[in-house]
Amino acid sequence: MKSNSLWIVLALALVLVPFLALAGDEGTGRDKTIAAKQGKANTIAELVAMYDSSSCEECHLDIHADWLKSAHSRSIFGTGRTAATFRTTILNGCMEWPYSGVKEFEEVKVEHLQGCTKCHLPQLADATDEVAQEMMNTILTFMKAYQEGDTETFEKNKATLLSLNINCLVCHNRNAIVHKWTDGYPQQGVVYGSMEGEHPSDDFPAMAKSPIMKESILCGQCHGLGPNFELENPTQCATAYGSYLWAYKAEGGRETCQECHMHKTGLGHNMQSYRDPGMIEAALDFDVEAYGMHWRDGSLVSPKAVVKVAMTNKTGHSIPDG
Amino acid sequence: MLNEEKIYMPVPQQMGRGDRMGRGPYEKSGIIEDTGLPPHKTVEERFEVLFPVEDITNDSGRVIDRKLLANELDVKVELWYLPYGTRNSDPFLWREAAKTISISTEGR
Ligand code: HEC
Ligand code: HEC
Ligand code: HEC
Ligand code: HEC
Ligand code: HEC
Repeated sequence: MKSNSLWIVLALALVLVPFLALAGDEGTGRDKTIAAKQGKANTIAELVAMYDSSSCEECHLDIHADWLKSAHSRSIFGTGRTAATFRTTILNGCMEWPYSGVKEFEEVKVEHLQGCTKCHLPQLADATDEVAQEMMNTILTFMKAYQEGDTETFEKNKATLLSLNINCLVCHNRNAIVHKWTDGYPQQGVVYGSMEGEHPSDDFPAMAKSPIMKESILCGQCHGLGPNFELENPTQCATAYGSYLWAYKAEGGRETCQECHMHKTGLGHNMQSYRDPGMIEAALDFDVEAYGMHWRDGSLVSPKAVVKVAMTNKTGHSIPDG
Repeated sequence: MLNEEKIYMPVPQQMGRGDRMGRGPYEKSGIIEDTGLPPHKTVEERFEVLFPVEDITNDSGRVIDRKLLANELDVKVELWYLPYGTRNSDPFLWREAAKTISISTEGR
C-alpha cells in the first residue's frame, strides 16, 4: 500500500513537469508554437495533422509540385533506402550497444530515432514515444511486405512513411527560426517568409519575416557539420554545411545554398543534386588531355600514352557529401 | 589493357576512434581522410599507359629492340557518381571523354 501511494505522487510530479515548463516560458512565445499549443502527437496521423501542409497546395500549386519532386518530400522513405537504414540503425546500432536501453524493436523511443530524425523529421521531437514505436513498426512491416511480395501491405505502409516528411510548415514555420531567443519562437498560425502581413489562409492567417529564409544557415541546420554532439550517442550523416563553411566560405566563396539550389538552377523548391542533369552539368569542369611519346627507357624506346584529367568542383561544398 | 580507378570521397571514422572506417550514419563520427573534390579547387590526375610492344631479344636473351604493335591507343575516361559506392546500385555517369592517342612511326 505504501509504495502504491508513493507511485501516485510520482505520477503527479511527472504530469506537472511539462506544465511548469510552459508556464516558465510564458512571455518568450514558446507557448504559442504549434507544438506547445497542440501538445505532443500520440500517433503518426496526429503528427501529420499537426504540421499538415496539404492546404498550401491550393494556392501555391507550382511550389507544391516542385517540392514533391525533391528529396524533402520523402525524407523518411527516401528511395526506400533511407527507411531501411532506420532499421539498420536500431538493429546494428542501438541493439548492439550495451547502454542504449534497446534490446528489442519494442523499446525504441523518440530519442533513439532522433539521431536521424533531428534532420530527417525534426517534428518527431513534438511526438510521444508511441509515435516512435508506430514509425518503427511501419518500417518493419513495410520491409517484411517487400520481402514477401505483399504489395498491398507494402503500398499502405509506404504511404504512411511518405506522409512523414520535411514539408512547407517545417521550413516556413517550425524550423524557420534558428535563434529563437533573438528572433522569437515560430508561432502557430504564421507562415515565415520574406514578408509581413496578412496571409489568405484560414489556418495560417499571418505572414512574418524570417531573418534566415535566404541564408545558408536555414539549410545548414539539417545539412550537417560533423558528429552531432548534442546526442547521447552522436551520429554523422550529411556534412555539406561543414564543408560549405570551412572549405567554401573560408576560401572566399560567396553564394548561398538558396542562390545555387533554388535560383541559379531555376529549380525553386525542387532542390536537386547528383541525379539531375542540370546539377550534374553545374557540378564541375572536366578536362581531359592526352598525348603520346616515344619514351626512352635507357637505350630502349618504350612508347607511352599520357592522360591528364583536371576536375574543378564548382559547387559550394565538397563532392560527394559525407 | 589497363583499367585504373580512383575514388573520391570523405572517409568517415567509426565512432570517432582508431583506423576503422564507419559505414552507417549511426556509427560514423569524424573522418579518417577526405579524398573528395574540394570546392573551387582543381584536382589533377595523371595516368600513364604503355603502348603494346614486342621485345626483340638477341641470342643471349638480352632485349635489344622493341617493336611497336600498334601506334594508336583508344582511351576512355569516365567519371561516375556512385551514391552507394558501387556501380551495381543506382550509378550515375557524370562525364566521359574518349581520345585516340597516336605516336609517330618515323624516327628512331
Ligand atoms: C488561399 C490561398 C493560400 C493558401 C491556402 C496558402 N497561401 Fe501562402 N500565400 C498566399 C498568397 C496570395 C501569398 C502572397 C501574399 C502577398 O504577396 O501579399 C502567400 C504568401 C506566402 C508566403 C510568403 C512568401 C514570401 O515571399 O515571403 C509563404 C512562406 C507562404 N505563403 C506559405 C504558405 C504555406 C506554408 C501554406 C500552407 C500552410 C500557405 N502558404 C497557404 C496564398 C495562400
Ligand atoms: C545532420 C543531419 C542528419 C542526420 C543527423 C542524419 N541525416 Fe541522413 N541525411 C541528411 C541529409 C541532409 C541527407 C541528404 C544529403 C546527402 O545525401 O548528403 C541525408 C541522406 C541520408 C541517406 C541517403 C539517402 C539516399 O537515398 O541517398 C540515408 C540512407 C540517411 N541519410 C540515413 C540516415 C540515418 C539512418 C540517420 C541516423 C543514424 C541519419 N541519416 C542521420 C541529414 C542527416
Ligand atoms: C527545405 C525547406 C523548404 C521547404 C520544404 C519549403 N520551402 Fe518554401 N522556401 C524556402 C526558402 C529557403 C525560400 C526562400 C528562397 C529565397 O527567396 O531565396 C522559400 C520561399 C517560398 C515562398 C516565397 C518565394 C516563392 O518562391 O514564391 C513561398 C510562397 C513558399 N516558399 C512556399 C512554400 C510551400 C507552399 C511549401 C510546401 C509545398 C514550401 N514553401 C516548402 C524553403 C522551403
Ligand atoms: C529540416 C531539415 C532540412 C532542411 C531545413 C533542409 N534540408 Fe535538404 N535535405 C534534408 C534531408 C533529411 C534530405 C535527405 C532526404 C533523403 O533522401 O533521405 C535532404 C535532401 C536535400 C537535397 C538532395 C540531396 C540528395 O542526396 O539528393 C538537396 C539538394 C537539399 N536537401 C538542399 C537543401 C537546401 C538548399 C536547403 C535550404 C534551402 C535545405 N536542403 C534545407 C533535410 C533538410
Ligand atoms: C556555388 C553553388 C552551390 C552552393 C553555394 C551550394 N551548392 Fe549544393 N550543390 C551544387 C551543385 C551544382 C550540386 C550538384 C553536384 C553534386 O551532387 O555533388 C550540389 C549538390 C548538393 C548536395 C548533394 C551532395 C552530393 O553528395 O552529391 C547537397 C546535399 C547540397 N548540394 C546541399 C547544399 C547546401 C545545404 C548548401 C548550403 C550550405 C549548398 N548545397 C550550397 C551547388 C551549390
